Amino acid sequence: MNIMTICSLQKYYGDNHVLKGIDLNIRQGESVAIIGQSGSGKSTLLRCMNGLEDYQEGWIRFGNMLITSDEKKAREISRSIGMIFQQFNLFPHLTAAENVMLAPRLVLGLPEKECRTLAEEMLEKVGLGERMDYYPSGLSGGQQQRVAIARALAMKPRMLLCDEITSALDPELVGEVLKVVEQLASEGLSLVLVTHEMAFARDVANRVVFMHKGKIHEEGPAKELFRHPQTAELEQFISRARAGL
Amino acid sequence: MMMEFTLWDIIRNLLFAMRWTLALSLVALGGGAIFTLVLLTLRLTCGARVNRAISLYVNLFQGTPILMQLFLVFFAFPLVGIEVSPWTAASVCLILYASAYLLDIWYSAVRSLPRGQWEACRVLGLSFPQTMRHVVMPQAIRLAAAPSVGFIVQLIKNTSLTSVIGFEEMTKVGMVLTNATFEPFKIYGLLALGYFLLCFPLSRLARRLEGSSR
Repeated sequence: MNIMTICSLQKYYGDNHVLKGIDLNIRQGESVAIIGQSGSGKSTLLRCMNGLEDYQEGWIRFGNMLITSDEKKAREISRSIGMIFQQFNLFPHLTAAENVMLAPRLVLGLPEKECRTLAEEMLEKVGLGERMDYYPSGLSGGQQQRVAIARALAMKPRMLLCDEITSALDPELVGEVLKVVEQLASEGLSLVLVTHEMAFARDVANRVVFMHKGKIHEEGPAKELFRHPQTAELEQFISRARAGL
Repeated sequence: MMMEFTLWDIIRNLLFAMRWTLALSLVALGGGAIFTLVLLTLRLTCGARVNRAISLYVNLFQGTPILMQLFLVFFAFPLVGIEVSPWTAASVCLILYASAYLLDIWYSAVRSLPRGQWEACRVLGLSFPQTMRHVVMPQAIRLAAAPSVGFIVQLIKNTSLTSVIGFEEMTKVGMVLTNATFEPFKIYGLLALGYFLLCFPLSRLARRLEGSSR
């Protein structure tokens, strides 16, 4: 069953044609990695999926909900689709627990006590039960990103969007974040990951989408795609990524 | 007939008048803060036309001497048939003056937050007022505290200008006393000391806040 359907999506920044007709389905419980060079439109596509960016033509559906960038829709979307960012975007004036509790309290209207229990549970899940009352400035990058994951999970999303979530991390901290994401994938949460981590895309994602110049150039099951790229562009991209590793 | 003024008489009169200096400063600050919040909300939520109107107002009040503003406000009301007391005219004028500067300070504090803070709020489903109250304001206040307190010092000193429209704050009373005693040096010296005692602690506070926000 498809959880999200994207149909003929077109997006322009002024004269710049960023997305040139994207068709993509995300199935329930599937994890999809979107790879491609910077400027290929992969982050823009991801940000369209929860209405952070608008688009000019085509449509995106999540269940019965049409996803648009209309501000009035943001609250409804937030109940189903979570997002994690490259720069974590934690609230620096709140502790880890308060970061996690804020949206359940304000948006879902849960009572304070329940929110606290929820925060405990979520931070425990990402391995930070001991760090509940730390401020973000007192946490490492990897820990901050895990708090951000806990914060997103506290809204009980049905789908999670991850925008280059390990790109701002020191190499030795990447693993702890990827481990959490891997666990979420195995629990059956629908994931869409924009990533530079080829190994991660191969190991965690069920399906990989390769974007090139605003189009989906090639897609397929992760392992197969990396082993037998069908197009010259993907082959080049993979060998470049390998060389970089 | 010439009256004799002792030093204590002079100080007592100035201290009495200092209450009005303080009252005017507080009204200008309180009213200015409220008006600034309204303008800030408009600036963040409304389109280009409203923003142009607000920036016209800010430029007008930042680009003209406060002395002219006082005269204009004081004499503009009677033109439309409303008599205003110096107190009302001074309050209205200083509120408008304070907002023109506070808006700049607060708006740039809000704008200096990373865009990611707004995006995080949005994807979590927070409404605009919730975002402002729980995420933006707590952070912006820290950034804006030092320059705001610095501006309050300017505001207190500028209340002295309201003497020209006859508002009886410290400077006005000082001028009256000078005319009565012919001791300008002593009285303006005391006056300066009065302002200094009000402003110096605030300047110190501003510097401390600046240190702690880094």
